[in-house]
Amino acid sequence: MITLEANYSKKLGLPGYSSHQFSVSLKSELTDISQAEQESARLYRVLQQSVDSNIQQIGFLPGEPAKPNLNGHQNGNGNGHHKPETDKWACSDKQRDLILKITDENKLDKAKVEQLAMDRFSKGVKLLNKLEASGLIEELLEQNGQSKPRNQRFGQKAGAR
Amino acid sequence: MNALVENGAVPLVEPVPIEKLKMTVSASRLNCWLQCRLKFYFRYVLKITKPKTAALHYGSVVHLVLQHWNMARWRKQPFDLTKLKQVFDTGWLDQGSPINWDGEEPEQKTSAWAVLEKYFTDTPIKANEMPEAVEVAVEADLGKHGLPVLIGVLDLVRAGGRIVDFKSAAKTPDNDMALHTNGVQLDCYSILYREGTGKREAGRELHHLIKTKVPKVIITEAGPMMEYQRNRLFRLMEDYVEGLDRENFVPAPGFGCMGCEYLGNCRKWEGGRH
Repeated sequence: MITLEANYSKKLGLPGYSSHQFSVSLKSELTDISQAEQESARLYRVLQQSVDSNIQQIGFLPGEPAKPNLNGHQNGNGNGHHKPETDKWACSDKQRDLILKITDENKLDKAKVEQLAMDRFSKGVKLLNKLEASGLIEELLEQNGQSKPRNQRFGQKAGAR
Repeated sequence: MNALVENGAVPLVEPVPIEKLKMTVSASRLNCWLQCRLKFYFRYVLKITKPKTAALHYGSVVHLVLQHWNMARWRKQPFDLTKLKQVFDTGWLDQGSPINWDGEEPEQKTSAWAVLEKYFTDTPIKANEMPEAVEVAVEADLGKHGLPVLIGVLDLVRAGGRIVDFKSAAKTPDNDMALHTNGVQLDCYSILYREGTGKREAGRELHHLIKTKVPKVIITEAGPMMEYQRNRLFRLMEDYVEGLDRENFVPAPGFGCMGCEYLGNCRKWEGGRH
């Protein structure tokens, strides 16, 4: 097995002599060295998209009232941080809540959940659409021994399937 | 109600309330509704369970192995036929209640693995093709159309948005007929995919694993769902909701009755309201 490791980092200047920086790393396993060039190009694209989509959230700036920090999943964990006003996820609210619940209840490392989303969908958790979020939820449940059989996926609904 | 329940059938103590059934709909429920409303009543309202049939077990195990194969590609794991055979063997043993094999279990098991091996050889899906989704539960709220929430599980969405459904069958299907008879299911999947991604699917595919003596694989392809197909599906859903409102659980005697597991229950129906 060949391991390809990639890192993408970007630093941007902000008003008030501030700056912020964000970097994302991920590893990918190859079965054949001939895949390296194509996989490397894919990783670069994925990492750049991820960094670019996240770094747009500039968070707190000195001399301004505190703004929500949208990097990472800081909402809902009871650590006293302000809940972001515009914490936008592409999936449904129900799916967002479930991902956060599974992460919290199983004490999962949020960076690893993010990495899983990047591995499977080439995008960060917040950018997953409903279909992708459903896949991530199923994967998280399975990794934590909580996966349900196919006919019980809609547990609370009448006569699913 | 009890008069309709034959010996050996296991009903739930309480039937499922009609109001609850009206809240959601799935391709399976809709197909059952279209096939026979009395069968729907037995299966989804009274929740009468029947022993698993040999054909159902065959299909379930084939589906289980395909699911593992798809998941392995999604997880970028190499193709491992030995591991899939282990999944197959374990799945085959897990039969739940006793199945009536008519003495043909060994032949059926050999046939099921043979058709899977054939599929792995003939499949148009390349080993390194990354699926867009595998076995994902999705729902689409159709409330703005005055319809229930559509729920379903997509077997596989191939890279680029091609929805795949796997079928195991005893006979080679005619392409046009396969698309016609599986239309409700394919159109439900299209709606779920569009709701889940905000995109139109690139196409739909039925992958038939044919369990003839010499196994075969037939791929039936369809384009994206057209507007008229969506309209047809919505009319069927309207009929489902209106029929449930009227508790319109009448039988539909026909060729389908020959393989129906509720035939015994059906014969006891005396035409009364449920």
